[in-house]
Amino acid sequence: MGALIVNYFNNLAANYSYLLLYMKQCLLLILWVFLITSRAIAQDQTVSGTVQDENAQPLTGVNVVVKGTTRGTTTDANGAYQLRARSGDVLVFGFVGYQRHEVTLGNQSTLNVRLDPDNQQLQEVVVTALGIKREAKALTYATQSIKPAQLNEVRDANIVNTLQGKIAGAYITQGSGGVGSGSRIVLRGNRSIQGSNNALFVVDGVPINNSTYSQPGGDFGAVAGTDGASNINPDDIADMTILRGASAAALYGSQAANGVVLITTKSGKAGRVSVDLNSGVSFDRPFALPKVQNQYGQGVGGVLDPSKGDSWGAAMTGQSYTNYLGQAATYSAQPNNIRDFFRTAAGFNNSLSVSGGSDKMQTYLSYTNNALQGTVPKNDLVRHTINLRASNQITSKLSTDAKITYISQKIDNKPRTGEENAPVFDMYQIPRNISLDDAKQYETTNNLGVPTPTTWPSTLNSIYQNPYWMLNRTAINEQRDRVIGFLTARYQLTPFLSVQGRANLDKYYDKNEESYSQGTILWANQPGGKFIRQNIITTQKWFDVIFEGKNKISDSFQIDYRAGAILQDSRFERTTSTADGLNLPNRFNLNFGSTLSLGDDFVHSQTQSIFGQATLAFKDAIFIDASLRNDWASTLPAPYSFQYPSIGASAVLSDLFKISGPLSFLKVNGSYAQVGNAASAYLLNTNYSYSQGAGAGFISRDATQAIGNLKPEITKSLEFGIEARFLSNRLGLNLTAYKSNSVNQLLRLNLAPASGFTDQYINAGNIQNQGVELVLNGNAIKNDNFTWDVTFNASLNRNKILRLSDQVKRSTLGSTERSANPIVQEGGSYGDLIAYRWQTNPNTGQYVVSAAGLPVQTTGLEYVGNFNPRYLLGLTNSFNYKGITLRLLVDGRIGGVATSGTEMNLAFSGIPEVTAQHREGGWVLPGVTAAGEQNTTPIRAEQFWQTVSGKRYGWGEFFTYDATNFRVRELSVGYRIPLPKMFIKTAQLSFVARNLFWIYRGSSILDIPGLGKRKMWFDPDVNLGNGNFQGVEYGTLPSNRTVGLNLKLSF
Amino acid sequence: MKALNNILQKAAVVACLSGSMFWGVSCTANFDEINTNKTKISTIGQSELPYLFAKAQSSSTLSAGNYQIGQNLFSDQYAQYFANIATYFPSDRFVIRMDWIGGPWGVIYTQTVPQLKSIMDNTDPGSAENALASIWWVWTFHRWTDYVGPIPYFKAGEPAQSVPYDSQQVIYDDFFKRLTAAVAVLKTKTSEKPFGSFDLIYGGDVNKWIKFANTLHLRLAMRVSKVDPARAKTEAEAAVAGGTLTTTPDDDALIQRSNKGGDVNGLSIMSPWNEFRMSAAMESALKGYEDPRLPVYFIPAASTNTYEGLRNGLTSTQLTDPANTAATNSRVGPRWDGSTGLETRQNVMATAEAYFLLAEGALNGWTMGGTAKDFYEKGIETSMKQWGVTDAAAIAAYKASANTPIAPNDYLKSPALTNIPVAWGGSEAVQREQIGTQKWLALFPDGFEGWAEYRRTRYPKLYPVANSDNPDIPAGGVLRRIPFLLVEQQTNGAEVQKAVSLLNGPDKVTTPLWWDKN
Repeated sequence: MGALIVNYFNNLAANYSYLLLYMKQCLLLILWVFLITSRAIAQDQTVSGTVQDENAQPLTGVNVVVKGTTRGTTTDANGAYQLRARSGDVLVFGFVGYQRHEVTLGNQSTLNVRLDPDNQQLQEVVVTALGIKREAKALTYATQSIKPAQLNEVRDANIVNTLQGKIAGAYITQGSGGVGSGSRIVLRGNRSIQGSNNALFVVDGVPINNSTYSQPGGDFGAVAGTDGASNINPDDIADMTILRGASAAALYGSQAANGVVLITTKSGKAGRVSVDLNSGVSFDRPFALPKVQNQYGQGVGGVLDPSKGDSWGAAMTGQSYTNYLGQAATYSAQPNNIRDFFRTAAGFNNSLSVSGGSDKMQTYLSYTNNALQGTVPKNDLVRHTINLRASNQITSKLSTDAKITYISQKIDNKPRTGEENAPVFDMYQIPRNISLDDAKQYETTNNLGVPTPTTWPSTLNSIYQNPYWMLNRTAINEQRDRVIGFLTARYQLTPFLSVQGRANLDKYYDKNEESYSQGTILWANQPGGKFIRQNIITTQKWFDVIFEGKNKISDSFQIDYRAGAILQDSRFERTTSTADGLNLPNRFNLNFGSTLSLGDDFVHSQTQSIFGQATLAFKDAIFIDASLRNDWASTLPAPYSFQYPSIGASAVLSDLFKISGPLSFLKVNGSYAQVGNAASAYLLNTNYSYSQGAGAGFISRDATQAIGNLKPEITKSLEFGIEARFLSNRLGLNLTAYKSNSVNQLLRLNLAPASGFTDQYINAGNIQNQGVELVLNGNAIKNDNFTWDVTFNASLNRNKILRLSDQVKRSTLGSTERSANPIVQEGGSYGDLIAYRWQTNPNTGQYVVSAAGLPVQTTGLEYVGNFNPRYLLGLTNSFNYKGITLRLLVDGRIGGVATSGTEMNLAFSGIPEVTAQHREGGWVLPGVTAAGEQNTTPIRAEQFWQTVSGKRYGWGEFFTYDATNFRVRELSVGYRIPLPKMFIKTAQLSFVARNLFWIYRGSSILDIPGLGKRKMWFDPDVNLGNGNFQGVEYGTLPSNRTVGLNLKLSF
Repeated sequence: MKALNNILQKAAVVACLSGSMFWGVSCTANFDEINTNKTKISTIGQSELPYLFAKAQSSSTLSAGNYQIGQNLFSDQYAQYFANIATYFPSDRFVIRMDWIGGPWGVIYTQTVPQLKSIMDNTDPGSAENALASIWWVWTFHRWTDYVGPIPYFKAGEPAQSVPYDSQQVIYDDFFKRLTAAVAVLKTKTSEKPFGSFDLIYGGDVNKWIKFANTLHLRLAMRVSKVDPARAKTEAEAAVAGGTLTTTPDDDALIQRSNKGGDVNGLSIMSPWNEFRMSAAMESALKGYEDPRLPVYFIPAASTNTYEGLRNGLTSTQLTDPANTAATNSRVGPRWDGSTGLETRQNVMATAEAYFLLAEGALNGWTMGGTAKDFYEKGIETSMKQWGVTDAAAIAAYKASANTPIAPNDYLKSPALTNIPVAWGGSEAVQREQIGTQKWLALFPDGFEGWAEYRRTRYPKLYPVANSDNPDIPAGGVLRRIPFLLVEQQTNGAEVQKAVSLLNGPDKVTTPLWWDKN
């Protein structure tokens, strides 16, 4: 049957213009098949009763089905149900999160049932692609669910960061844009060079826009933008399921090759009105700051020079001197000047929700307020989220569901990330003897009343400025208003077939402003200062119609199936206005601009799709699943069409065969899927761009050659899994192995510029990811007073670039030749880092040293490591003792490297701790000269570090670290306050903490003779941005340690 | 069956309703329109050609950041107009950073060449517009062949996976032919204003373009004077007969710059970055000659209020010495101020150069229409006026001056650059050095031309570069060319291999170009 449908859809795909006609025919076929296979049933008696949960509270929405038939109903607001059955029938009660309950009916007319919670989530219903709810055991691919409590207790401004360590196979890094910065979640390895590797975020069945509009593509830096996922309010989440592989996500088509994070938000429950309050306060401090020396202050060559920003001066012994401000001062170490620059950032999260309704109508209303500070002073985020959901049962057959979420978010003083005149990087440069009190004297007012920067002993006064000037005289502010809403109508055509139509809108307005006062290095070139305003409107519309049905073919065979059509339309509209120069100094509005320029961006694309999916079940234990989807994408050349299938099977062996012993459940599954990606808009034709310039401006031909025969990218993915439970489900194991190949990659390759184009797009390449994921959970102790649960996840991924193209064997992931460069190279792995290294003698392996006794650089950039972890591990222990709960998450990674451009840059100026050694000279590097003679020339630290770091450009190997690390990621200790019977039903108070401390950190990869290895001081989880340029830390913000309190009240 | 019909009817209604609601009748009919980029132009017509010409002019002269990575970090240093003070830039020590210079190389081939080809393909070969594009083609390409030697030329801008290189000799041959043909066309179009105000140099003034083309012709003829003296003489005399640039500032070719779109003067935008300062060579000559152009070219050092320069090729550690920092050396002149100088017009080719070329031609015995001494002094006078020195007495005194360059008292305690005075000398050898030295001073800050002429003539007698980090060349050696670019080796490798045979030497910085006979 599955094959028949697939075949039918194959034909159907051949000519889209007859879609509707075909859909009718298809439907006819499906209906006909199922109608003749449905058997007529005599209904003898009426059975009624109530269903309660473990606390004797009524359960609403429980499915009650007569086993082996399609007859069924759901419980109402009071947990009551009624249906017709005959004696001997088996009634099956099923509800998400509860163990399935079966009762064989005798002659009674009342049947009350209490359901036990299913902690193992074994028999549960899982929300899958497009919001389709399916039985977990029927799935032919791996999924993993996260409980909402794990998302809204120990918090982060971006919910994505709270997934860290909890999902097998997920590698999460956060951008360096301060509070609310975008994050990157990669499932099962990187696969796209030009495109995003970020998982798709789906809320209530529909993908939301998760783009980040401003992204550092190199380590000079940028304003790291906010992403779309960070707007999701954890307090509104009812369920989160991660679909790691393409098989699981195939129905999402184009965007799903990277896996999906499926979020279901809360909806109202009939019956009692419940009010929930979740209130949290948290405090952040920087978790990983540069390790600096505190022995030597300003100067060069061991001589104190208060005009210098470098700290190669005399030893600080409390001498009296005249400082750079011309004031009498004491020359002494300021060991905390960097740390004290950062503030303790307070965060307040308050969420109030009201849920309730009748059996005909349920509503959920919530308001959440997040007021969060960043550790960089003045960096604040305020977010309001209002969420209203209304579900209606209009007639017995027609129901509607609607939601509207309004998000208003304001971020003030976002710190610029990267190396070039960004406040944090400026701060790291502070000479070791300068106090923050000195630094705070950052400006004077000139005779025209305009603030002017005070002299500042910068290490490079063309690039770095007093950090307090940057804090107080520049601002990057963002405001976002976002509306996400949907409207769904569902009609039960027959007892076994329903149709659902859905319209979804995700629209946001961003207003981003940057202001730079006159005198700001690099960013304000013109008199008066600079002001930039961007207005961005992002619109994503989604409409779908889905037929869904379920039939019993015979006693052993059952089929469920979906077929539908989707239209998705995305628009991005941006206008950028720049006032470069202000006629009124430091008045940041376009009205005062002396030179105004405008930019206008507009990107529009549309995808139309039809799909079919069917699962054939044999004895409710063997499942065969197939899907086919056809897309028509506006970004492709005519006929715009491409299609991709998926097929899978699973078998619950423990249901098929009698098992005994400790094994209580055993399932195996396998699946194969293809997912297409239609690429971005406007690649088909060569365009000419107008740009402003002298005279009336210019027209130039775009330097990237168009690709008229653009093909969609295809990811082919194969996975096998085994799921086993032992000792009455107390111990569970979930093991998945996968392999995916991404082919027809849209690669942007360099062309000989002499051809008139610097780049061309081609479809080529084959990037392979292979890996294994393991989730173990166990119920170590379970008795009335004490429970101890353990969840462990582990994963490994191996990436291989099997092929790029005939012409090009290497592609870069960002532009830099400064510290290290992430590349993609045939034969290598995605994210190999190449950098300049210390030359070694090819025969003896000894370091090569110059006549001056200094290291000699390799002639080219060489491999120093790969930025991806080799293994990811996470371990959660939860304890529950008489209302006291303790949850501890320890996670980490093994393998991979990260290069610190920050340390490279600072080393030139004598700031890192390691540079304090060998200052006085006499350091002889044990190496050989090019001629092979043993080196005997002594050097000083200053010479050494200035050789291997040219300041802004250096030899990456010296600053590359093994990024292996383990830490206590999350801790929460909760206490359920015992309450007398009153209107507060439950109250739980928790102490929560994130990034508590390191358990292990890797060291520098190079063991420099005379210095040894250094422990990694930075947090490799924080990157410049959340794009594909990863593995290089250069002026990124420190990650944070968070402690806080959380109070949950239910009324 | 009745029930089934009923169901089907409902299903069909829902499907149709939703279908028409979503897509209307036709589904993908508007896809081509959706996939048309409305912020761009998809077809080019006659009315767009002027914009293309303006882009060609702006791009090949290297505005904004391209000026640094194409010129300032390379030829400006090799001509010793400036010395590097950034500890992280190795090009002053002969390391050719291919990732930087690859940028402007790409700019030329993708932002100048396609524009000029479009114009030449879409206009009558006998039109003034076509002639201007052809002249600009020559100006653009001569700077890059003089950097590298063989370059993709005849097939440049033709979409292909590989593009062949052409030898410098055949490229120069085409230069001469193009300039001759363009001038012939322009002589019949003197009443027209091709491209009008879109011509950012002369505003479409055909007579000036004729002079420009002839002066460029003379420049190129002089360049080949050692490798092909006979051709040089013929080409030079023909160019001079047609009339070269004569007056400043009227004839000077200077291109407009604008804050709009970041199309700014490249030297100005980078001056606040404090990555380069006056060279010791400039200090020695300008101070020694008591040159009135000194305060135009440079600003006194911030910490000493005197004009100070430093030697080219200092190491990172040497650059941290107080004598070699931004504060203790002279920044480029006030017209290139980082905020007020962003729209300062950029030199393309100035009249003074024409007189120095005439002087050298006369010394070669070519028919130049005057004596070497007169042209030499006219060159000095024109350069002074070009840079705003109008005091006739001061100019006269300078011309007659017996001053010689001085020892700059720099970090390396360098000697004086040379010992020749300004006043016209008695021997041909002295006269040639004087022309070379004064032309070098006049060409400032055009490193492209300054370095090319240094390689041809070895004038002025520049300081040896203090250190070399390039194993192919010792400290004090003379850099002869930029090697074939890495981007070309990566994308056009086979053709680059073939091009090596056009070099008459290995693909190194020490291999002289075709016209470089030193």
